[in-house]
Amino acid sequence: MQVFIAQILNGLSIGSVYMLLATAFNLLLLVAMIIHFSYPQVVVFCMYIIWLVLKITNNNVFFGILAGVCSAILFNIVSAPLFQKIMKNREEVDINATMVLSMAIGWIITDVLSHAFNNGLPIQFPEEITGSKPLFRVGLISILPGQVLALTIGIIVVAGFFLLLYKTKTGRAFRAIAEDPAGAKLVGIPLVKTGFQSYALSGALGGLTAVLLIMLFHSASPGLGEQVSHKVLAVSIVAGLGNLVGGLVVGLALGILEALVQGYISGNWSNAIAFVVMLVVILVKPRGLFGVKI
Amino acid sequence: MPLSLYYFLSITAVNILMSWALYVPYRVTQLHFITIANMMISGYLAGYLVLHAHVPFVWALLIGFAVGGIIGFIVSLFIGDAPTFSVVIVGFTSIYITRTLVENLPIIGGTMGMFGLPNIGGNPVAHRWIILCILYGLVILCGFLIYRFDHSSIGRAASAVFVDKELASSLGIDIKKLGMLLQTFSCMLAGGVGVLYGFIYRSFHLDFFSFALIGVFMTVLFVGGYSTQWGPLITAPILYGLPLFFPPEIQSWRIVIYGLLLILVLELKPEGFITRKFVHSLGLSFSQKRGKEIYIKEDRQ
Amino acid sequence: MEQDSTLASEKKAPMLIVDEISVSYGHIQALKKISIEVYPQEIVVLIGANGAGKTTLLSSILGVRAPSSGKVVFEGKRIDKNSVDKNVRAGLCLVPEGRGVFASMSVLDNLLLGAHHNLANKDKNLARVYEWFPILRKRKDQIAKTLSGGERQMLAIARAMMSDPKLIMIDEPSLGLAPIIVNDIFDILVTLNKEGYTVLLAEQNAFKALKCAHRGYVLETGTISLSGPSSQLLNDPGVKAAYLGA
Repeated sequence: MQVFIAQILNGLSIGSVYMLLATAFNLLLLVAMIIHFSYPQVVVFCMYIIWLVLKITNNNVFFGILAGVCSAILFNIVSAPLFQKIMKNREEVDINATMVLSMAIGWIITDVLSHAFNNGLPIQFPEEITGSKPLFRVGLISILPGQVLALTIGIIVVAGFFLLLYKTKTGRAFRAIAEDPAGAKLVGIPLVKTGFQSYALSGALGGLTAVLLIMLFHSASPGLGEQVSHKVLAVSIVAGLGNLVGGLVVGLALGILEALVQGYISGNWSNAIAFVVMLVVILVKPRGLFGVKI
Repeated sequence: MPLSLYYFLSITAVNILMSWALYVPYRVTQLHFITIANMMISGYLAGYLVLHAHVPFVWALLIGFAVGGIIGFIVSLFIGDAPTFSVVIVGFTSIYITRTLVENLPIIGGTMGMFGLPNIGGNPVAHRWIILCILYGLVILCGFLIYRFDHSSIGRAASAVFVDKELASSLGIDIKKLGMLLQTFSCMLAGGVGVLYGFIYRSFHLDFFSFALIGVFMTVLFVGGYSTQWGPLITAPILYGLPLFFPPEIQSWRIVIYGLLLILVLELKPEGFITRKFVHSLGLSFSQKRGKEIYIKEDRQ
Repeated sequence: MEQDSTLASEKKAPMLIVDEISVSYGHIQALKKISIEVYPQEIVVLIGANGAGKTTLLSSILGVRAPSSGKVVFEGKRIDKNSVDKNVRAGLCLVPEGRGVFASMSVLDNLLLGAHHNLANKDKNLARVYEWFPILRKRKDQIAKTLSGGERQMLAIARAMMSDPKLIMIDEPSLGLAPIIVNDIFDILVTLNKEGYTVLLAEQNAFKALKCAHRGYVLETGTISLSGPSSQLLNDPGVKAAYLGA
């Protein structure tokens, strides 16, 4: 029973990271109208930037987090014109081309990380940022500050995101484009400028997610980006592309599923089992459990 | 022959074949990455059969093709007409699952890999010649099959699906059957190539089948031109051969260079270098030349 | 109610000049050297059959498709190379065919979207819009999908008003609406015009449109075949035969 509770807690915290990643992915899909396969790799890249900044500034957590969020926003904004240019190659929005472009970006990031940082070996994060002393311990259940933060920040950010979506001018423009990009254009919504805003926002979300990942995993490796990316993509498709709420639900569910499997079966298989479950769902329902928006 | 030439020729053939394995399903917009998993499954299976069960190589190779085809067929029952995105995710998850299986099964080598596969034909020299012959025989065979496909009514149907899926199905094209055919062919090819890939090095290792491998094949296909089969034929030797002239430090950044090249092509020349128009105009100029010759001959008579 | 067509031309400069524009979709020429003018405070109607080019003309003026030749001048400035949102900010707006309403968003959100570039005046404009269309205030938190066809058309027009436009372009306002509702909509357009809005309207329902407009143009396969005061068009035998169901 204790294992069960401990793993549920673990699952919720990692699930909340998946939630954030899926939300940012859907944002880019609905508003910028791109499929950004390697968005999680950008997040892992920011983890590395944070690691670098921590090393240089002698573990100054504030600068580390600042660097992380800023580098994510910068990366997204810089890659935006690349995406926007290829979208217009055919008459309609060529979303497949954005897939290939983002895959290429992912390969580059992973390879750069394996070559240029720490000789490709996994990096460790210092205690100042991870906080590894448990807040609370009962038997096998120990609640680490990282987990609490991941879950609370995850919930706050998602709530904030929905608030933005429903109560602000930018959010309205996002929703209009998500429902009908051509109609939004006719009404006078600036598609390119609003698209840019979505790149920046998902960048900010990404930077935050990088910090949460650091708190949960305490380390990172070049392969982490690919692994997380495949999971988030599978989550998106199981939930149905573009389905914001579905992404939240399936993201959390995946986190809990993974954690439970990890608790009872050896670690090597937990990832594979999660993928098998998702693969079966995709095979049976290629358009997602809750239907595709695209 | 020198070892470096052997590797160059064999890997180039693998790149051509695997780019074609991606080219065929992409004719209906599907990026069929499960082919990498097919390479692994058939490859490790064949390796095991030859090394531990002493099955003759020919049989192991044929089993590799068959297993690839069977897996491809079964999966295509589900995703024959699925959207591109789903097919890609199926591919990625399959690769991931296969890699985990391989890592954790000691009989096929686990993380250490499978080494010491025997020389086919008894000695290293014969082995290399046989591998090259099989590879290039396969290149010619597949090139021919794909050529026939492209210039048939199924090929035209595939082009219609690529441009507009809904319109194509309203014209009576059975998208699912077409997708199933192309996916099965592609997976069968990938299975066989996977077997040969390992036998080039006489070993199988997880590092051979990373996700970056997709990057190599995609770059060859997209830089060459995804709308005809001739693109990969030209870009495969160039993309693999050119880096060999550079010092090893630069070569280690191969994947980054390929990625940047792919991005450049997507931005500036999205159809790749060899497009249908280019091939068509080449063909026209050849036929014009021949037309002139016949005309002159007739005139002389 | 027929309008006085002399409102146009004599004293004022045209608000909108479309000068010999041609627009193509690939190899198909949708508009061939079209010229029209709209004077301030007029209601001008474009009539023509489906596919004649009315929607193309309106969307080209708005900036959705750049004309391959010719120019569009709005209030003295050339706008044919501008983006849509720049033109909306300059005072143009379009109520598209099919309402231009976001079905999954609330009535209020739809109205606020219209005010995207004009949020400073949103409260004033909202109050005015609710005064004109009390049904929208009643349904302001409802999802637009739940509105009837006539209510959606009202919402679309109200949404256009939120941007304080100088020229309102409307594409087929009567499409799919019951005759009684259509009358209401045209009454609204006339009232809008009396309040000072200039209206450029594309309509298949030629009779009702010409009745409330000052001037009209007849579009046939991408060219203007006839133009003039609406009373003249109403009595033209060719127009009568082709468009007025005589």
